[in-house]
Amino acid sequence: MDYFKEFIKGVWQKNPILVLGIGMCPTLAVTTSASNAIWMTIATTFVLLGSNILVSAIRSIVPTHVRIPIFITIIASFVIIVELTLKAFQPDVYKALGIFIPLIVVNCIILGRAEEFASKNSTIRSILDALGMGLGFGLTLFTLAVIREILGANKLFGYTLINGMKPAIIMILAPGAFFTLGLLLWAMNVIKARKSWFKRTE
Amino acid sequence: MKPADIIKATIIISVIGFISAFSLSFMKKITQEPIAKQEQEKKLAALALVLPGYTVQQEKTVTIDNTSFTFWIATKEENRIIKKAWAFLAEKKGYGGPVQSIVGVDESNTILGFTILLQNETPGLGARCVEVASNETFIDHFITKNVTNKEEVSWFQEQFIGLNAGKPIAIQKKGDWHKEMKDGLIQQNAVTAITGATITTKAVTQSIEEGIQKLHKALTLQEVQ
Amino acid sequence: MEIKILFTILISTIFINNYVLSRILGLCPYLGVSKKLDSAIGMGLAVIFVMTMASFFTFIIYKFVLIPFHIEYLRTIAFIIVIASLVQLVEMVIEKISPALYQALGIFLPLITTNCAVLGVAVLNIESGFITQEFGLLNSVVQGFGAGVGFTLALLLMAGIRERLEIAMVPENLKGLPITFITAGLMAMAFLGFSGMKIF
Repeated sequence: MDYFKEFIKGVWQKNPILVLGIGMCPTLAVTTSASNAIWMTIATTFVLLGSNILVSAIRSIVPTHVRIPIFITIIASFVIIVELTLKAFQPDVYKALGIFIPLIVVNCIILGRAEEFASKNSTIRSILDALGMGLGFGLTLFTLAVIREILGANKLFGYTLINGMKPAIIMILAPGAFFTLGLLLWAMNVIKARKSWFKRTE
Repeated sequence: MKPADIIKATIIISVIGFISAFSLSFMKKITQEPIAKQEQEKKLAALALVLPGYTVQQEKTVTIDNTSFTFWIATKEENRIIKKAWAFLAEKKGYGGPVQSIVGVDESNTILGFTILLQNETPGLGARCVEVASNETFIDHFITKNVTNKEEVSWFQEQFIGLNAGKPIAIQKKGDWHKEMKDGLIQQNAVTAITGATITTKAVTQSIEEGIQKLHKALTLQEVQ
Repeated sequence: MEIKILFTILISTIFINNYVLSRILGLCPYLGVSKKLDSAIGMGLAVIFVMTMASFFTFIIYKFVLIPFHIEYLRTIAFIIVIASLVQLVEMVIEKISPALYQALGIFLPLITTNCAVLGVAVLNIESGFITQEFGLLNSVVQGFGAGVGFTLALLLMAGIRERLEIAMVPENLKGLPITFITAGLMAMAFLGFSGMKIF
């Protein structure tokens, strides 16, 4: 039960994007299509998992004042592994995500979890934390991408939804990304407010 | 900070750096072959697409106007006459970075085929230059599995086929391309721009114009030698 | 001719391809430091400085270390290390030379290491194909400077708006991040007006 909590907290209670408010750049930039969102999630979760495992494994021997360079080296190595693997076996994905693959290095979620969680907790807990955070990140990305792809391109997974309908292109451009995330955060606040209101009246 | 701490930190950082460098070079070794194979396959597929029916004989890279220029020589035998055709790499800065394409032309400068290799344009606008005009909808693909009206070629790229690259290619703003427009556009040696992405369209037409000039220079250079 | 190219790069990185509002890079500091105008100015200056320096050094490292040894695939790790040590170095130098400037910029410098716009500009300099060009180094430095100025412009505009939003009547659930994102969306829409602008 305790372990399950460690896993599930990333999805809602400590959702990296909606609650902690980190890792915004890839969230907004790659959510132009649902398949991009899924591949970005896979890549980020892999790096997060790898860095969490390694950081928690070596946490007792790392001197505190040089920990940040060490963490960054570990994260960057995993990012390069992802970069090379995608380039070799999924070249289309590599092209679609473009510059946002090297930018996983500076995704605050990964360094943030290494610093805040993995450097203080056991390996098993760090694995669960990474998987939960990855799932929370992925679900948010997927929701955003589906909304934007349907409204902005009249498509889902690259296939047209309604033949001949003109989409609202603005939703797939940068402004649409900001609007969608703003409204999603607003919806989250509304749900939270409702919940606490019910608790008070009980 | 005590000297012992500095030494310890240095050793740990070096060990981690060494391990990461070692594992990355190992990773590079595994992926090198698939990456090279991918690129080779992509190039061959692109050449087959832009030079339909021709066999590629030679790849050449020359320096023209201080920039390197790559082109391919291809031939085809038709009624015992050997016909020649060329393909070349065309590149020009678009909106979000370079737009690189490969263009096939025959002896009368008519474009035989055209395909975009590399682009980083805005999704929804310039990136539509590689969009496939498919009538297949989401429901067709995943639910009814009715895949009769599937098209493979991008409409933007298809409209270049048959144009004369020797003359300037005009850009018209007629909205999205459809098959009925094709004859009219070929007569005027024009293409229709992607809505909201005239810069991308212009980058492509200009890269073709510059490319064909370079190709002719390269060919005369070759004859002199 | 070269001046023309440099001017085009500058204008397009500041307005047309604004790093924050068009490419969506560097959002963490954009949202985090835009609450007050004073701190936004400090952050903006620090980012301009680091981006220009980072463009210079990453270009040199890529051209004279990574390419000759055929280890281009290590560029991510090389760049992030260059940027992190550059930020440290800048911090130390500023502290020694000008304590007043350090007071103003000091707290923002460590944050810049994880600003994805800085690594973004370094990677984009390579992807833009400047490496093979004659004035590649100059082009990439100008692109870095322009990206920094564009970031600062977006940050200052946002900080000005947010200072006024503090006293505006905003629905309870929209307060904080949601209204900031919607404001950013409107600003991005305004910046879309620059797209397609013909410079020469």
